[in-house]
Amino acid sequence: MMPSSNNKHHLEDYAPIVTSGVIREIEELARLLGPVRIVHVNSTKEGGGVAEILGWFIPIIEELGMKVDWEVITGEKDFFTITKKFHNALHGQPEEFTEEMFAAYLDNVGKNAPKIHEDADFVVIHDPQPAAMIGEYPDRKNRWAWRCHIDLSEADLRVWGFLRPFVERYDGAVFHLPQYTKNLMAPQFIVPPAIDPLAPKNEKLSEEEVSSTLHKLGVANDKRIILQVARFDRLKGPFGAIEAFRLVRRWYDCRLILAGGSATDDPESQAVLAEVQDMAGDDPDIHILNLPPDSHREINALQRAATVVVQNSRREGFGLTVTEAMWKAKPVVGTDIGGIRHQIIHGVSGFLTHSVEGLAYRIRQLFGNPGMAKRFGQQAREYVRNNLLVPHHIRRWLLVFHSLRRANGDLITLPPHEITE
Amino acid sequence: MAKPFQFFTEQGIVYYSGYKADNLKALLTGLRGVPSSSIFYHLYHSLLRRHFTTTDYMNDFAQWVWGVLWQKTLGEKLASFDPLEFTRLRDARARLIEIVDAYVGETEYFLRVSEEQAFYFLCMKSFVYPLGVQASSLPELMQALRVVSPQSIFYHLIESRLRLREPTNDLSDWLKTQLDMPDLAATINTFSPYEYNLEELRNKIIAVVHDAIQ
Repeated sequence: MMPSSNNKHHLEDYAPIVTSGVIREIEELARLLGPVRIVHVNSTKEGGGVAEILGWFIPIIEELGMKVDWEVITGEKDFFTITKKFHNALHGQPEEFTEEMFAAYLDNVGKNAPKIHEDADFVVIHDPQPAAMIGEYPDRKNRWAWRCHIDLSEADLRVWGFLRPFVERYDGAVFHLPQYTKNLMAPQFIVPPAIDPLAPKNEKLSEEEVSSTLHKLGVANDKRIILQVARFDRLKGPFGAIEAFRLVRRWYDCRLILAGGSATDDPESQAVLAEVQDMAGDDPDIHILNLPPDSHREINALQRAATVVVQNSRREGFGLTVTEAMWKAKPVVGTDIGGIRHQIIHGVSGFLTHSVEGLAYRIRQLFGNPGMAKRFGQQAREYVRNNLLVPHHIRRWLLVFHSLRRANGDLITLPPHEITE
Repeated sequence: MAKPFQFFTEQGIVYYSGYKADNLKALLTGLRGVPSSSIFYHLYHSLLRRHFTTTDYMNDFAQWVWGVLWQKTLGEKLASFDPLEFTRLRDARARLIEIVDAYVGETEYFLRVSEEQAFYFLCMKSFVYPLGVQASSLPELMQALRVVSPQSIFYHLIESRLRLREPTNDLSDWLKTQLDMPDLAATINTFSPYEYNLEELRNKIIAVVHDAIQ
């Protein structure tokens, strides 16, 4: 999800970063939409990726002349236990369900769903927790969109079968990737996650700060660095990354940094971290950094210090760490899966691989060809600069709202206006 | 008095068409069945998405056939497909189908890939609107070209061929009909997005307009 940022930025702040004319286009698009009222509904105002996104998204949308309400669905602990099970099952994890759970979910949605103002033009419901509340508005006049932040490609059919009749009532659904879509009658828009180039995790750092951060983390900046940023999880492939590093080191003197976090209440991540540390042994060139969740500037410095960034995941949605590294003009070698396949253009802005050996081979190739590595990094940054930053995300959502308003036709001319220049 | 040239832009939001292909025959089915906006998105708009780099495989069909199905011959044929030769989407679609159909007819085995590697036919709902920028002379044109977005360059240089249904773009058309500069119009019309990315195209147009002013 979007890295957190305590500093709220204005759309104009991004003008020097994105390509010429983009901000003007967004402002025009907003003007043509008019002073509409938008209601977002999710399950929490604090914590979690959705709340983080809405935290920066809403001020910019308001700055563009729209009124935004942010509502949350409330409930007892039991309700959120059930919706957590929904969440896991939609991700494809095995969960047990009873009829009573589905009934309890609907009962809570009926009692605790926030009231939607009749004068709202658009209603955006995030994720499964409030999804069924559209059933409470059979005579709605406003346009409703269901924003799904979950990979539904392996969704449990009982839960999806339960939610689907509600989702079908929406005027549109919004997914991160085409692979996450389902067979629905409603249009399914694709809006990939973006990164904030002005957030602490991505803002420009001086060479001195990069060096001092590495020093603070106990990493000498004296040789090539391979970096993977990911939580300690088997699905992120940390063991394969170490194997690949050992293959590369036969040819090039280098270091491997595995930087991530492990939740203290998650025994699995603690176990994976211990196994990774065990595999690394006392190798002085392998650095296992278990960082606190707010280590944004540290991650930023590590990404900037890296020679090659890898993402050896076995399963990955839209890996924001990949986008972050690309934004820092780093060549990324990632597994040819999920969202990574959409982020990296193989042989242009990085490499897509299928094995530990392939990963090692591509890292060696980039180490041996600094010119190619630099070119890939520059192309990667340009790709992000043109597609995956905050202004692009704002633009895509404005287009979703325009689309919800004008359901018919794929080519729509918006009314001309007075020439101002 | 010349009629001013108004800069427009075209912004699109992508949605899933309901068609996906995990082999060549399914690709053919999709090519035949998807809405025109899907052909536009994968064939023309892919130029915009990769406009910062010129690669051998600028359209999505060629990328998938070459990079996922590993059908090198068909990948090359699709990559060399120049959508700018067509002024109607239906003609471009027909040619695409012809190429894939001929290859399928010669092929004995069809590789089937996983759902995750499947080709998802996406459509684009496009919104065209004026940017509030216009030019009535070459100096004004040069100034305007510096401030408009790559999407606007794409709209006027590439998409306008489909709109005009002529083998020219609307900027060249304006230079020829309103400013009576057929040579400059013809020069700009020869600039191909297959040889230059959109920023380079912008700079090349600015350069030739600058030369014309001199």
